Amino acid sequence: MPLPSQPTGERRPRAMVIDGAWRALGPGLESLSGPGGAPLTRTVKLILLPLIVRPGLHPELATDFLAPEPAARLDALIRESGGRLVATAQWFTLLKRTRRALGVVAGNPQDLYFQRCFELAAEHGEPAADAGALARSVVEDVADADGGRTVDALKRYLTDATQHARLEVELGVGWEGRQLTPAADTAAAVALAGEVLEACGGVEGPRDSPSYTSMVEAGHGGLLGRALWTHASGVWGRDDLPAHLGLTGRRLPPRPQVGRGASTATLPAPLDRTLFERLFVVLQSSARREELPTVPELVGREVGRSCAPLGLYDETLRVAVLLGGQLAVGLDPLGIGKPAPGRTAAHRAVNSRWRREASVLRARRMTVSPRPDPDGGVLDALAQDLRTPWVAYMRRLWVRLHGRDVRDAPLADAASAWAVLDGVARSVMMDHRARVRSALRTLTASAAPPATVAEAAESRSA
Amino acid sequence: MAGAIVDVHVARGDDGTIRVITAGSVSAPDYTRAVLDVAGAVLAWPVLAAPGPPMAEIHDVGRAQQWLWAVYGERVAAAVHTCAAGESVEVRVAADMTPLAGGAARLGFGHWAARWWPASHLDGILALQPDVLGLELAALTHECQQLFDDDGDQPDDCVAELIEEHQDALAPLIQWRHATPPSTGTARRLERVLRSVDDAADSAGLDSEALRCLRSSLARPRPDGTPVDPVAPFVRHDDYALAAGEPLVAGGRLIARGSGTNDWRRYPPGFVDASESAVSWTARALGAGRQIEVEVVAHIAAPVAAVPLAAEVRVNDGPRNRVSLSRRVDVWTGRADLDLPAGETQPRIELGVLLPGFDPGPGPEGGAERDSVRALVRRRLATAAQPVAPDSPPNDGTSGPFLAEIAAAITDEDY
Repeated sequence: MPLPSQPTGERRPRAMVIDGAWRALGPGLESLSGPGGAPLTRTVKLILLPLIVRPGLHPELATDFLAPEPAARLDALIRESGGRLVATAQWFTLLKRTRRALGVVAGNPQDLYFQRCFELAAEHGEPAADAGALARSVVEDVADADGGRTVDALKRYLTDATQHARLEVELGVGWEGRQLTPAADTAAAVALAGEVLEACGGVEGPRDSPSYTSMVEAGHGGLLGRALWTHASGVWGRDDLPAHLGLTGRRLPPRPQVGRGASTATLPAPLDRTLFERLFVVLQSSARREELPTVPELVGREVGRSCAPLGLYDETLRVAVLLGGQLAVGLDPLGIGKPAPGRTAAHRAVNSRWRREASVLRARRMTVSPRPDPDGGVLDALAQDLRTPWVAYMRRLWVRLHGRDVRDAPLADAASAWAVLDGVARSVMMDHRARVRSALRTLTASAAPPATVAEAAESRSA
Repeated sequence: MAGAIVDVHVARGDDGTIRVITAGSVSAPDYTRAVLDVAGAVLAWPVLAAPGPPMAEIHDVGRAQQWLWAVYGERVAAAVHTCAAGESVEVRVAADMTPLAGGAARLGFGHWAARWWPASHLDGILALQPDVLGLELAALTHECQQLFDDDGDQPDDCVAELIEEHQDALAPLIQWRHATPPSTGTARRLERVLRSVDDAADSAGLDSEALRCLRSSLARPRPDGTPVDPVAPFVRHDDYALAAGEPLVAGGRLIARGSGTNDWRRYPPGFVDASESAVSWTARALGAGRQIEVEVVAHIAAPVAAVPLAAEVRVNDGPRNRVSLSRRVDVWTGRADLDLPAGETQPRIELGVLLPGFDPGPGPEGGAERDSVRALVRRRLATAAQPVAPDSPPNDGTSGPFLAEIAAAITDEDY
């Protein structure tokens, strides 16, 4: 075993044990390995851990450091699979070649095919001489796996005039039927949100918080949604912040329209989006579209959903909006250090991440001036966005929660809610960096006309 | 450096962050820090120090365990584990210099070079071709794939973006490969970079005309002994001629002149010549009025499009005033009235150049560090002009020249 022997106690890093076992399998694994011979990160994540090591079945292998005995067991598990892994590697090479020949370009081949290749290897061993036809059918099968859950299908479905008119009527009825009881006091809900955030962002990792369950049971997310409909003020403990935190660009969220088209570059605020725009985002960003409801079902449910508080059915997801709002109003991406009421451990965690990001951005010469600068153009606009971080944060958060609502994936506990909140914070950082990069590139490109930096990621439209 | 052992400190901060601290300096100007975003952590190296293991700020220990052992050795991985579990607050532990540590350092340095390389006509420091450097960064990123996971929060895990953005350099690199005798060190570097790019593109499912050319070219045996002019693929098209010097203002009496501070942090790369003498001012008297003229020498590759670069002028510790600059051939110039007492002949003038909206504000002087950076890249370019030893180790950290450095050095005809 080529593990360098170092006397550091008995337990060894699991990643190192995997690496050693992998290399000991010898040649034939190149398509699943990096240039240095280590398994690809996705090989570990998509094949070795879930399909061979299976920590769910072997809890003693579910930790980052392994004692000698579990280490030997893990090593044995991988070595026993050597033949199947070599066959998996050959299938992967064949599928990549087939995919190129068929002109398929969407998606990352590792994400799409790794698991299928492992199954093919179990069923057929190494690809035989006549494996080409099978490979073609697998590639086509994966490419068609969305089962018609596409933006095109949505467009066709919604351009039908009768359909369109029927949906408009239903939306009208749903919107009129909203429960507009005067919003109860949101202060108690916001206070509980603070408790959950304090428990989430701690140094020891997320602790479970009974306050989360209380919020869900009390329907505090729905309460916030109704507060938006009645334009409550002072929800966030600051008079200068509207209850909606930019979830709508208007005073009150408008009645949703059906819509006929969308473009990521010009999407309005989440609650101002049409049915088409809401579902467009789901369809064009989903990795596993085959798990979504069919297009007619998607549309049918979105009618009711868009008339529900915060545009979401599930109460745990609405509570996550409340938690996210409470987090976002206390964020300080520019490190100005202005005190804000109600900062929690979660705020400290995310703000320290922003400090680290700012330090990286300075080292990468990708700064924005912390002070407003009237001559600053696009870069100053990006800095301005950082001064109102809740707008970008709530947009990102709502899209993610909406995606979960569409898939019936509630947030069972405070820890899963925190995973989403934290992930959104990281996405907002990535977005900011992508926008700075894009703005600087526009400045440097001598030929290109200065364009506004919209959704810097990738903008798509339909 | 592979195999050497260096001591590092592993410590846990109040916010739960685990830090791996090396002997390198901690606070230094931004342009002397190379950084890399990896799974669960940020790695950093002082570019002016001797090669060594990176410093790390680890915010997600679980994700970082994927690579910690491979970068620092398993003792450091174990120390991070015990610190994170609260079993110790700070430990001193021996780190190995591993191949992945060398690769990561090289990747970090390459990203640094893409942003801070002090190209200067005035100083005779050659510019690097962004596309050639970008492709080598793509290859290095692929070679360092263990550092990244697919959580989508590591902006440096960007092989596909790098290849797509910089694939214009593929054709000249393929040509260069054909023109280079296979036994040379340069040929081996070219081979390695191009094969990595091909492998990375294949793994990520990228496809384009240039990538298909690359694949078929790598599949063909290399024709030996048909050297074309090795310089041909990289002929520079910049006819750089300094047009500075002609006075903006006809007449006027010269009061004083001097140079300003060229703080690289205050504007993006590619706009201003990196020399200390690139930023200068002249004060003149016109009748009773006083005027200042600012001249900023443009970067070799500076865009011709209008860029709202500005000068910041401060007289005798007064307020900082902006003077907008406009491009005239190879210099940016601007002019403003100067509020000087009539008898003042030795005004103390501080001058800086900045891009509004980008400028993080004036920082510490930093001239000595900028000189050190220039000395570093001069040494590197001198090395790059020498033939690469055929037996140089393949993953030699930051010390081996990048292809972009070799290309710059061997096409150095204009100077």
